[in-house]
Amino acid sequence: MTGYTEILTDPSYRGEIMVFSSPTIANYRWSEEAMESGSIQVSGAVTRDSHSVLRGGYSLDEILKKYDVPGIDLVDTRTLILKIRESGVMRGVISDSPDVPDAFMDTMEKSLVSEVVSQEVTRTGDGSRPTCLLIDTGAKRSLVRKMSQVADLIIVPYNMDPAKYYGESDFVFLPNGPGDPAHESLSGLRRYISTIAGEKPLIGVCLGHQIISLASGCRTYKMKYGHRGSNHAVTDGRRTWISSHNHGYAVSADSLHDSTLSMAQWDINDGTVEMVRNEDQMILATQYHPEGAPGSHDLYWFFDLVRKIVEDSVASR
Amino acid sequence: MPLDKSIRRVLVIGSGPVVIGQAAEFDYSGSQACLALREEGITTILLNPNPASIQTDREIADRIYLEPVLPDMIEEIIRKEKVDSILASVGGQTALNSVIMLRKLGIIQRNGVRILGTPVDSIELAEDRRLFHDLMDRIGEPVARSVTLDAKNYRKRAGEIDFYPVIIRSSFSLGGSGGNIAKDSAELIATCSGFFSSHPSETMELEKSLAGMNELEYEVIRDSMDSCITVCNMENVDPMGVHTGESIVVTPAQTLSDREHNMLRDSALRVVRKLGIVGACNIQFALDRTNGSYYVVEVNPRTSRSSALASKASGFPIARISAKIAAGYTLAEIRNPVTKDTYAAFEPAMDYVTVKIPRWPFDKFHVDRTIGVQMKSIGEVMGIGRTLEEAFMKAVASLENDLSRNIRLGVTDARLMELLSRPSDLRLHAVFEALFRNHDIDTLSSLTGYERYFLIKLSNIVREVEKIEIGRMPSNLAELKSLGVSDAIISSITRLREVDITRARIEAGLIPSFRIIDTCAGEFRSETPYFYSTYGETGDMIRESDRKKVLIIGAGPNRIAQGIEFDYCSVKAVRALRKSGFTAIMINSNPETVSTDFDVSDRLFFEPVTLEHVSNVVAIEKPYGVMVQFSGQTGQNIAGPIAEIFGENIILGTSPSQIDRAENRTEFSRILGETGFRQPEYTSIYNLEDALGKTPSIGLPAIVRSSFVIGGRSMEIIYDMDELLERVREIFSLSPSNPAIISRYLEDATEIDVDFVSDGKETVICGIMEHIEEAGTHSGDATMILPASLSPEIMTEIKRMTVLLAKEFHIVGIANLQIAVRNSEVFVIELNTRASRTVPIISKATGTDWIEYAVGLIMKTGKIGADSTPIPDGYFVKVPVFPFDRFADLDILLGPEMRSTGEGVGVGKTVEEAIVKAFTLTSRKLSVPTAVLFTVDDRLKNAALPLASFLASEGVKIYATPGTHAFLRDNGIDSSILYKLEDVRKPLISDAIRSGEISTVVNIPGPGAIREGFEIRRIALAGGVLVLTNLRLATAYFRSVMGTTRLVPREIQEYQP
Repeated sequence: MTGYTEILTDPSYRGEIMVFSSPTIANYRWSEEAMESGSIQVSGAVTRDSHSVLRGGYSLDEILKKYDVPGIDLVDTRTLILKIRESGVMRGVISDSPDVPDAFMDTMEKSLVSEVVSQEVTRTGDGSRPTCLLIDTGAKRSLVRKMSQVADLIIVPYNMDPAKYYGESDFVFLPNGPGDPAHESLSGLRRYISTIAGEKPLIGVCLGHQIISLASGCRTYKMKYGHRGSNHAVTDGRRTWISSHNHGYAVSADSLHDSTLSMAQWDINDGTVEMVRNEDQMILATQYHPEGAPGSHDLYWFFDLVRKIVEDSVASR
Repeated sequence: MPLDKSIRRVLVIGSGPVVIGQAAEFDYSGSQACLALREEGITTILLNPNPASIQTDREIADRIYLEPVLPDMIEEIIRKEKVDSILASVGGQTALNSVIMLRKLGIIQRNGVRILGTPVDSIELAEDRRLFHDLMDRIGEPVARSVTLDAKNYRKRAGEIDFYPVIIRSSFSLGGSGGNIAKDSAELIATCSGFFSSHPSETMELEKSLAGMNELEYEVIRDSMDSCITVCNMENVDPMGVHTGESIVVTPAQTLSDREHNMLRDSALRVVRKLGIVGACNIQFALDRTNGSYYVVEVNPRTSRSSALASKASGFPIARISAKIAAGYTLAEIRNPVTKDTYAAFEPAMDYVTVKIPRWPFDKFHVDRTIGVQMKSIGEVMGIGRTLEEAFMKAVASLENDLSRNIRLGVTDARLMELLSRPSDLRLHAVFEALFRNHDIDTLSSLTGYERYFLIKLSNIVREVEKIEIGRMPSNLAELKSLGVSDAIISSITRLREVDITRARIEAGLIPSFRIIDTCAGEFRSETPYFYSTYGETGDMIRESDRKKVLIIGAGPNRIAQGIEFDYCSVKAVRALRKSGFTAIMINSNPETVSTDFDVSDRLFFEPVTLEHVSNVVAIEKPYGVMVQFSGQTGQNIAGPIAEIFGENIILGTSPSQIDRAENRTEFSRILGETGFRQPEYTSIYNLEDALGKTPSIGLPAIVRSSFVIGGRSMEIIYDMDELLERVREIFSLSPSNPAIISRYLEDATEIDVDFVSDGKETVICGIMEHIEEAGTHSGDATMILPASLSPEIMTEIKRMTVLLAKEFHIVGIANLQIAVRNSEVFVIELNTRASRTVPIISKATGTDWIEYAVGLIMKTGKIGADSTPIPDGYFVKVPVFPFDRFADLDILLGPEMRSTGEGVGVGKTVEEAIVKAFTLTSRKLSVPTAVLFTVDDRLKNAALPLASFLASEGVKIYATPGTHAFLRDNGIDSSILYKLEDVRKPLISDAIRSGEISTVVNIPGPGAIREGFEIRRIALAGGVLVLTNLRLATAYFRSVMGTTRLVPREIQEYQP
């Protein structure tokens, strides 16, 4: 219902057509502040009723046009969603012509991360806090904001040699990003992570969680239609939290046996791995988005936990 | 944590009679909770003196006490039933208040019982405004600031206050009687100086006014492991200043951004955790969009009207889940009963929009129609659609009143401005009207406080409706339907018959498809058959059924004269059908009720109960038949038109043509005359001249009625010709083409309600209830006793008449006959070809499921058994409860219009015990009377004499107004004089009532002179003093209360045959 600005601008959605299950969309004003990146990232937006409200520069139509992204309204979205649920995520085209190409590329085969990452190195903070090497794969702005409250950040694009900055960091953070974690374009990053695991705290979110898991010996798989939305409950077996999800891939729970990681939280309904840990190796990663945006703040304590892991590690050195 | 095995026997406290602010939602949540506990093998002991509820049915609870919710009663039940735990979170404020009282009295402690769910300390924290505000201050949650002023400090402090505007309330103002708003210190000082000059020792409470801010609500569930979910949020279309029960409410919130939503959600979880809620609660916020800040308004630490709405809107059964949590489970252990494959720990996602609109009693009560901080509505409807427009218009269609058919308001521009700026039941329609008149959105938004978003949506509807032309089917019909515009509205504009529009539309194939409410917006497969209609989509698959399908019409919104008793009847019909192997399909629009629980029927269509929407379901489902006799007048009204579209055979049970014969009063009287039934003398009139000419032959007093039931308006006893003509004029203005009937009023007759079942040939009487008041009090407002105390001869005559009438009208199923008895003569007054409001109480008193019986006869799965009416082993006294405390301008005297919102029952082994128990439900303070005020009209003074001398002989002090005093003195009864309010002499009635000297007022106005004594009755009511305005009732009451010393609670079976 809420959060259409965040969703449309989330780099993790790169290469995807977004079908909104909430029928009324863009009921409140688009907000630059709520954007999760500099532009709309989805390839297209499909809505049931976004046409009849908020005219005059604020309609979804106008926003999509501004960023040159196609949208289609008045669609029977529930029927489309039921189709996706039954058949799984599928390739799609939005076109104003009946001549749709029979074959077109699956965007998941593309190097999506490269499309969303800036090639600049950025630093935040004043040196008063531990230093985090954030290897960027398409981090949401709100995740970067939350992390910058924990540590001073050195944000380095995934395809630039991170080793150069590794020495001055107290820990490494891998954020969210689009596409398949096992994609060829990320092989260098996976290899690098496997070499540094255990040396310093290694924290991940979403794609970062999957890359850390792959680097630790796990396997990942493509889900039928993934977890999307801000209403998923995760549990540690005792308590439950409502969390914000956006992942089409997941870490295989079976493969955890072959890895150095163990499952700390899982989705209450389908058992999907939602948090992995290795306390000795100072590894912590979540599949969900502890920063919400959009969605619940119930797992903000993840960042407190990160702070503690990093402080303990700094203190023990 | 799994089920707590030490919980074995749970006392569930129900909410009692339906009153404004506490209605069917607690029958729903209470029933759900009982069933949830029973599933766990826990014995449920239910205490609820509401005989109309489903909750008090044997199918819901193990042990049922229809007894008053009083501390000593509860203690006795605790001991008798070896209760180990109490569930008080599903019985509204009544149940919460009683556990707080039980603890105060030490009853909880000395009996070693525990309170399940939210602890009593938390309840008290949430309920006590002061404690709650202190707690919020401590955890840094913003609340409206407040300050107390007294006569000494107010001038100084008025200047220091920095949170204007403020609401000012005097410390003794009567519950919710509003308060003044001061915009600055000058206004505050002006109000205060006026007040303190007359009340120097009182204080004034000031609170920051939040009026005009956006109002949002969150439904939160917390378990004992501190896990929390918010089931959904709700956005009030009416801004702060209008009670949420009076507001139009949209779910999910439509105009919140993600940041606003999560700011409020975070706050909700902090507050709920701090309070220590275990189970469900509701939290309200005021959001100040001018600066992005918010205020916590209040927390309801229990299931509520909002939680019922949230359950129906989201599909998430809050009461059920919260009962499971009370029994020990955590959210992660409870299955989501909608998907069955997923768990209750999640937050529902909605791929549709719902709109709730309150239903006010202003069609019955001619009172101030403005709405505000106090509740006046008695029911509500919910519309569901894929778009907000569709949901809005389906809610409007569900109202089942004039507003649901007429979208235009014929008012002047000046009146329109007034309606826009002062909240009332007409405001939504005023907005429509203003949009028709092309007022601009921004101006409307600032006048009404509605968000622009809502106004834009409403204008989308208006822009389409204004294309409709008189006299022809609209060319934009598809667009109109997708915006939810009803056939009834199209009919009112085109002036085509609604039934013709519906038929043409269906024949043209313009039928909606149906979508499932699945709690997850399609993410998981859901088998739950909970549907709503929408236009222009593919729709979800409705599974074919290999059994015969029967559609049961629900009763629509709660309103005066149509309350939860009809929900009882329709739910029982559904259960009976399912038991006999039919597929039972329910259609209803009332989010409060049990009937709209998706678990109750095989299929639930949450739709307006109108010809149009019922026809849509019939067109799609093609049921074997439709049952219209269990939903009050709603079903009766649409039976004819449904038969017109789908054929007479589609209606099961008594046929539409027979319904019509019985409902048309002229026809009915004619048939009675032809078939030789005794009825009061009558004449049909066609115009005013007729009335003038024919009335003398009937004589006065008389009763005038239109030939068709108009909004349930009942008989008015008329004593003079002027009044009669006025009434006749009124009737002809409402229905000019139909004749009216003038009939002789039978003075001093006893009215009898007979419920019976029949297969068209043979008939069994379910029960015969006798009214205490003489014929003339609306049967919904009368106090009635079962069994009746009639002579065997009269009983035989009543039975004979019932059997003959059942045959004459080919009654199949259940029906109700109203009879008047005078001396040894029996007169037929009215035949209702449907279940009446006395069916639930009669079913419970006789221990017989009469609805199931009737369904068996209709479906021919059952047969008429032995012709014997079961007689209960005790007395059941049904008492009405009235909303007089909510309407300062409403007289408590009973008149032609039904006034009661609900009913309670007193049950006893003697009539006296039953009557006293019944009166505990209607009077706030009930004790043996010590001093009674008599004020009796001249014509009834003689009749009142036996009562006065009885009281005098019992040692009761008698006060009387001067005339009554003189009369009593002349008849040798001592009394003290009290003067009427306008008198210059003292002592005054008002002083004696306020000082608490008088325990009961007997105010008997003369026939026709109903305006006399209004002030006395209002003052008595305000002072919490029992007022009796009927001599028969007063006599029954005093004779009972003077002789009864102890009230004993008994399980219902002890009273059954």
